[in-house]
Amino acid sequence: MTYYVIKRLGMMIPTLLVISFIVFVIIQLPPGDYLETYIAELESQGESVDQDKIKFLRDQYGLDDPFMVQYFNWVSGFISGDFGYSFEYDLPVREVIGDKIWLTILVSFITILVTWAIAFPIGMYSATHQYSWGDYGLTLLGFIGLATPNFLLALVMLYFANVWFGTSIGGLMDPEYLDQPWSWGKFKSVLEHLWIPVVVIGTSGTAGMIRRLRANLLDELDKQYVMTGKAKGLPPFKLLTKYPLRMSLNFFIADIGSLLPSVISGAEITAIVLSLPTTGPMLLDSLQSQDMYLAGTFLMFLALLTVIGMLISDLLLAWLDPRIRLQGASLK
Amino acid sequence: MFRQLFKARDTWRAPVSVLITGFLSLTTSATAVASIPYFSDDVASGKLPPMEQRIPAEPAIAEFSGSETTGQYGGQLRLLMGKSKDIRLMMVYGYARLIGYTPEHELVADILRDFTVEDGRIFTFHLRKGHRWSDGEPFTSEAFRYYWENIVNNEDLFPFGLPAKLMVEGEPPAVSFPDDLTVRYEWSKPNPYFVPALAAPRPMFIYAPGHYLEQFHSDFTPEEELQTKVEEAGVRNWAGLHHRKNHPYKNDNPELPSLQPWVNSTRPPAERFVFERNAYYHRVDDNGRQLPYIDEVVVNITSKSLVAAKTGAGESDLQGRYIRLDNYTFLKEGESRNDFNVRLWSSGTGSQFAIYPNLNSNDPVWRDLVRNREFRRALSVGINRHEINQVIYFGLAQASANTVLPSCSLFEPEYQTEWTQFDLDLANDILDRMGMREKDSRGIRLMSDGRPLEIILQTAGEGTEETDILELIGESWFKLGVKLHVKPSQREVFRERVFSGDAMMALFNGIDNGSPTADMSPREFAPTNQTQLQWPKWGQYFETNQKVGEAPDIPEAMQLLELYESWSRSRNSVEREMIWHEMLKIHSEEVFSIGLVCGVPQPVVVNNKLRNVPEEGVYSWEPNSFFGVYRPDTFWFE
Repeated sequence: MTYYVIKRLGMMIPTLLVISFIVFVIIQLPPGDYLETYIAELESQGESVDQDKIKFLRDQYGLDDPFMVQYFNWVSGFISGDFGYSFEYDLPVREVIGDKIWLTILVSFITILVTWAIAFPIGMYSATHQYSWGDYGLTLLGFIGLATPNFLLALVMLYFANVWFGTSIGGLMDPEYLDQPWSWGKFKSVLEHLWIPVVVIGTSGTAGMIRRLRANLLDELDKQYVMTGKAKGLPPFKLLTKYPLRMSLNFFIADIGSLLPSVISGAEITAIVLSLPTTGPMLLDSLQSQDMYLAGTFLMFLALLTVIGMLISDLLLAWLDPRIRLQGASLK
Repeated sequence: MFRQLFKARDTWRAPVSVLITGFLSLTTSATAVASIPYFSDDVASGKLPPMEQRIPAEPAIAEFSGSETTGQYGGQLRLLMGKSKDIRLMMVYGYARLIGYTPEHELVADILRDFTVEDGRIFTFHLRKGHRWSDGEPFTSEAFRYYWENIVNNEDLFPFGLPAKLMVEGEPPAVSFPDDLTVRYEWSKPNPYFVPALAAPRPMFIYAPGHYLEQFHSDFTPEEELQTKVEEAGVRNWAGLHHRKNHPYKNDNPELPSLQPWVNSTRPPAERFVFERNAYYHRVDDNGRQLPYIDEVVVNITSKSLVAAKTGAGESDLQGRYIRLDNYTFLKEGESRNDFNVRLWSSGTGSQFAIYPNLNSNDPVWRDLVRNREFRRALSVGINRHEINQVIYFGLAQASANTVLPSCSLFEPEYQTEWTQFDLDLANDILDRMGMREKDSRGIRLMSDGRPLEIILQTAGEGTEETDILELIGESWFKLGVKLHVKPSQREVFRERVFSGDAMMALFNGIDNGSPTADMSPREFAPTNQTQLQWPKWGQYFETNQKVGEAPDIPEAMQLLELYESWSRSRNSVEREMIWHEMLKIHSEEVFSIGLVCGVPQPVVVNNKLRNVPEEGVYSWEPNSFFGVYRPDTFWFE
C-alpha cells in the first residue's frame, strides 16, 4: 500500500509538468497578448494609450521574451511560491487570489452540504418507493432543476429577492459590509445573500446525485442479503442504511476527486451572473484578457486539486470497499 | 490679432476678475464660514488646520448657473463599476485639471490660477499660492520640476523619450521654473496639442508629488533600501516600482497625494472602493465654502451585466456607465420604487455605429472597388437610416453621416446629410454606371473578375444592437444586388483581421469626439492611427514614422494628412477652424466611413435627492469626461 501511494505521488510530478506546459501554450495561443487586449478595451471606451507607454510596459512585463523563457520563469517561480505577476491587477498573483479563495470555499462548501442534505433523503426515498407518486414527483422536480439553465434561475431569483425582500442585487453581502471586519450584521447579510447561489448551484447537482443514488440503490435492493436481513426482522431503515446504502456509496466516494477542484473554482457561470466575489469570474476575466500568469496559476491549482482529489478517492475506495482492495492484490 | 491667438486667452480673464472679487468677499466672510462636519473632529483635535488654512489663498470659485444652487455638506455618492480597474474613472469624474473645459468647451484655468499662451508656443502657468496636495504638502513648481527632471528625463523611467504630446517635430520644450508659483514651457514651434492634453479626460500629468515619490527613486534612495522595496512589490526594477506608485490616472495607490476632489482610500484588489474628500481641495462655492459638498464617493464593483439590474434596484446614485438605451424601460419601471429618475442625455459620438470599408484590404479587386468613392456613396445611400432609427432606437436618434454633431460649433448641415438620404434608384444607378450590370441567379451583381459582390462584414460582436442594425442594412443592400454576410468575432481577433487587411469591411463605433472645437486635434479625420478601421495600414504608417504600414496613395487621403499636419503647425483658432472645415468637407464628399445615426440618447440615472446634476447633458468621453465638465464636486444631497 505504501509503495502504491509513493508511486502515485511520483506520477503526479510529471503529470503536473505536462499540464503546466499545455496550460501555458493554450493561454498564449490566441493572437496578441495582454497589452493588446488592454488597449482594445480602453479604446472601446474612447481612451487611448501612448505607444511609448506600451513599449515600456511590454518591457516591464517581459512580454517580448521568447516563449520558453516566459514559461520557465513562471514554472520555476511556482516551486518557491512565486506565481508571477497579474497585469490586470498590477499586483503579484498571490495577493490577487488570496482574499477570494476563502469566500469561494465558503460558497462551494455550503452548496455541497446542502446538495447532500437534499439529495440523500430523496434518493433513498425514490429508490425504496420506486414508481410511486412520490418517486415520480421528486424525480420531476429534480429534472426541472437539472434542465433549468443556472444563469436564468439566478437572474429570476435575484430580481424577486430584490423586489420582495429588498436584498441587494448580486454579491455575497450588502455593499456597506464589504471590506469590513466580521460582525453580526455582516454575518446576517451574508446569509441573506448566500441562499441564492446555494440554491442555484445546488439544483443541478442535486438532481444528478438523486438519480445516481437511486440507480445504485435499486441495484442493491433486490439482492439476497437484503432479503435475508428483512427475513431476520431488521427494522427497514436500519437495514437500508447499514447494508445497501453503504454498498452503493462507491460513486459518491469517486465523486470526491472531482469535487475538490470545484470547491475552489466555484460554479463559474452562476458566479458571473450573480457577481459573486469568488474565483470563477476572475478566472474567466483573466483568460479573456490573457492575463497569463493569473490564469495559468488558477488552472494549475485546479489541476493540482484534481490530481490530489483523484488520489484521495482511489485510496478511500480501496479502504472502504474490500472488493476493490482484494481484487487489486490478487492481480499482482 | 493677438487676442485670437488662443481662445482661452479671452476666457481666463473673466474668471480672474470674478476670483478677485470673490476672494475679497471671502476674506470678509471667512469668520462666518461654516466648517465641514466631516473634518470637525480632526480640526478640533488639531490633526487638520481649519478650512481657511486648507484652501489656497486665491481658491477657484465654482460658478453656478441656471437651476444650480449652493448646497450642503455630507452624504455618500454610490457608483457602480464593472471592474476594479474602472476606479480610474474617478480621475475622469473628479475633473480637477491644470486647465479644464467648461460645459461650453472653453478652456479655463482650474488648478492653475491662470495661464498665458504666446504665439502658440510659449506656455506660462501660474499656480495658486497656498495650494496643497491632499497630504498637506505644498503644491508648487517643484512638482513640475520633479516630473520634468526626475521622471520624463530619467532614462530608466522613460527609456523611449518624452511623451509624444511634449514633442514638436522631434524637439523637446525648454522648461523653466522662474519661481515657486510659475512654470514655463517653451517650444520653437507651436504646440497645439499641449493644452488640450492637460484638459483631457485622461490628462497628461506634467506634475508629480516628488516629496512622496523620492523614496522610490534611485536618485534619492540608496540602492539596498530600494531593492527590498522592489522585491516586496514583485516588480522587475525600481523603474517599475516608481511607475506603480505613481499612477495618478489609475487611482490605485491610496498613498499617492492627489489634487482631485476625492482621494482613494482603498487598496486594490477590493470590491468596494471609498474615495474620501480631499481636505486641501482648491475650489470653493460662492460663499467661500470648500468643495466638494459630498463627503465620500463609494465605488462598488460588480459584473458589467448586473450594473443595469442593480441600478434599477436603486443601488447607484449616479450612473451612466454600462447602461444603454435598451435598459431604458427597465430603469423607468424602477423609478418610483427606488426614488431615482432616469434622464436621457445625448451621447457624444459622431455616429452610434459606422461602417468602415477597408481601403487597405488584401483582396485587389475589392480594394479597387472600395477605393472608388462612387461605390462608397452608393452603399451609403442604400441604407435606410430612418428605418434603423425607428426600429432600433424608438425614433429618438437622427440619421447622420459619421461626422460632427449638430451641437458642435463646427457643424454644417450638409456634413450630416450629404450621401445619407435613402435612394435605392440612385444607388442602383451608380452601381450600373460603374459597370457592374451583370448579376448571378440570386440577383447579386458580379465584380470585375466575375465573383459575386458578397461582402463579409466583421463586427466586434458584443451586443445584439450591432447584429440588429446589420440585419436591416443587409435587406436594403440586397435590393442593390449586394449580399451582406455578418461575421462577429471577439474584439482582439476582429481588430487583427482589420489591421492585417483580411477584413473587407467592419462595423464599429463612429467618431469618438462628436463635438470638437477648432482647437482640438482633427486626428480622427486623417489617416493617423492604426485603429482607424477604414485605413489601418495608412494610419500605422503615420503612427510609426513611416517604419511599418503603407503610405496613403489616394489623393484625398493624402490631402487629409497634409491638412492635419498644417493644423499641427497652426498658430491660431481662425486658421484651425478653416482646416477643420476643409477636412470635414472632404469627409462628407468622400464617405470614407459610412455613418448611420447619431444622437442616440444615453440614459443617466440620478438619485432624486442628488442636486445640481444637469437635466440634459452630453455624455461623452472627450471633451466632456462624462460627468467631469459638469463638476461633480458641486453636486450635493438634499
